[in-house]
Amino acid sequence: MCPTKLFPRLTSDAPSVLSLVALLVALLLLLVSPTAWAASETTPSLSLGQASLEEAFGVDSPLGRLSYQAGRGFHLGNTGLTIGGFSTVEAEFLEGGEQSGGLEELNFLLSYDPFPFVHVFSELGIGTLAELERGRSGVHSDPNLEVERLYLDLGNRDALRLRFGKFFTPIGRWNLARIEPLLWTTSEPLIVEEVFDDSTTGAMLHGTMFPRGGALSYSLYGAFLDPLDAEPDEDPVKHSAGAHVEWASLKGWTLGASYFAAQLHKGEWNHLGGADLLWHPHRRVELSSEVVFGEGSREDGTLWGFYGQAVVETVRTLYLVGRYERFDPPGGGRAINLFDLGFAWVPVPYFRVKADYLIADHRHELAEPGLRLSFSFLF
Amino acid sequence: MVTRFLGIIVALLVLAPTNLVGQEGRVAVIVHPERSMALSQEEIAQIYLRRKRFWNDGSVIVPLNLPSQAPLREHFSQLVLNQTEPRLADYWNRLYFEGILPPATLASTEAVRRYVASDPNAIGYVPAAEVDASVRVILHLD
Repeated sequence: MCPTKLFPRLTSDAPSVLSLVALLVALLLLLVSPTAWAASETTPSLSLGQASLEEAFGVDSPLGRLSYQAGRGFHLGNTGLTIGGFSTVEAEFLEGGEQSGGLEELNFLLSYDPFPFVHVFSELGIGTLAELERGRSGVHSDPNLEVERLYLDLGNRDALRLRFGKFFTPIGRWNLARIEPLLWTTSEPLIVEEVFDDSTTGAMLHGTMFPRGGALSYSLYGAFLDPLDAEPDEDPVKHSAGAHVEWASLKGWTLGASYFAAQLHKGEWNHLGGADLLWHPHRRVELSSEVVFGEGSREDGTLWGFYGQAVVETVRTLYLVGRYERFDPPGGGRAINLFDLGFAWVPVPYFRVKADYLIADHRHELAEPGLRLSFSFLF
Repeated sequence: MVTRFLGIIVALLVLAPTNLVGQEGRVAVIVHPERSMALSQEEIAQIYLRRKRFWNDGSVIVPLNLPSQAPLREHFSQLVLNQTEPRLADYWNRLYFEGILPPATLASTEAVRRYVASDPNAIGYVPAAEVDASVRVILHLD
């Protein structure tokens, strides 16, 4: 059966509100299933926590323990449902004179594990809630519910699971965790922002195996549905496919490789390759890098780009951050060299304050130099 | 004078809180008696990093942790995960963004042992001296 018939709402025509309603109905149906209410009375109740994050609120209920942990969400007892999210306040003071700031992100993360072989996940965003801009009077607001991700994971083997829905395109590391509370800088590398569609609507086989010394993960994916809730101005491709493999050593380094092919609207296929690295040579130092080369899904022409980033913890909770990036755009345009220097303060794992200054070797619309600040937190 | 000084030192050592003289000792990684498979230290690390999430029979592994301030947890994290708490926090933030939560936390080693004894899918760690017949030890960590 055609997958589009199985999931008729996974189309670009479907309003995001309808998608949300469908998701919530599905969650509610699963919530009232008998297994979701199963609770053991002979075992101590579990609470979820790690890495100095403690339960901030908790109460026992017929559903099990209802609890909230800062940075880890609200857990609805033994139902397997967790609701959390993140928010970001940003400000930028660009060299061209443009100044703006406001509440830029309020996103919700919904995770549901009703059965051992089922994992439902969604990220819903509410656009710009309040923004001030120099030269424009009043507070600008553009709240718009967006389905950033919505997928179903099936399978009960580490080595093989099937994902279906809308998920981040697994190219490199940055694109899989591109939210302010997880990043060290306020700006994104151009090779993440300008080369490929950040999400894919389709299916993915993925899994992890455990040879000696680490974990070997893979993803094989393809887009064959109309992009779900896509940004109209991004004009995402309808057909793409790719693979990502990653070796995560238990000694603290991770190495990955990516391949991505996208069919542009004219019909021809573009091919992109990439590699990524994360390394902790010292407990206070993190080095990361990504490179891509080939043809992206946004426009025709060969490109290549690279970034290298270093993060050093100077005193406890205060990090110095530096990133160099080079981007050769498709079509033979002038290459851009960027330097991003700044700091991040992480007093607790779920709260992050950042300030960094982007320096460019020449003015370019893709990367405007200037100072950017952000306050972000997970909830 | 030297004898008196040595006597004071000995008295301080005897009266010192036990955590100053290595109270953790040997750590036992425990599972339900029905679980007969063997696990290496690396596999236990992958379980506690939530990379390995299923037993061989397809059941979900339920790893159990102690509260973050517990000395035994710190000892276990250093022995098995070999990572600092800030780096682990970053790691868990990233997984939280994919809907994967860290291991569940129980308040005491007694609670961990009782839970493991009652749930065939659970795995935990306790001081070796607290192990009884209700659970099976799959690995000792020194």
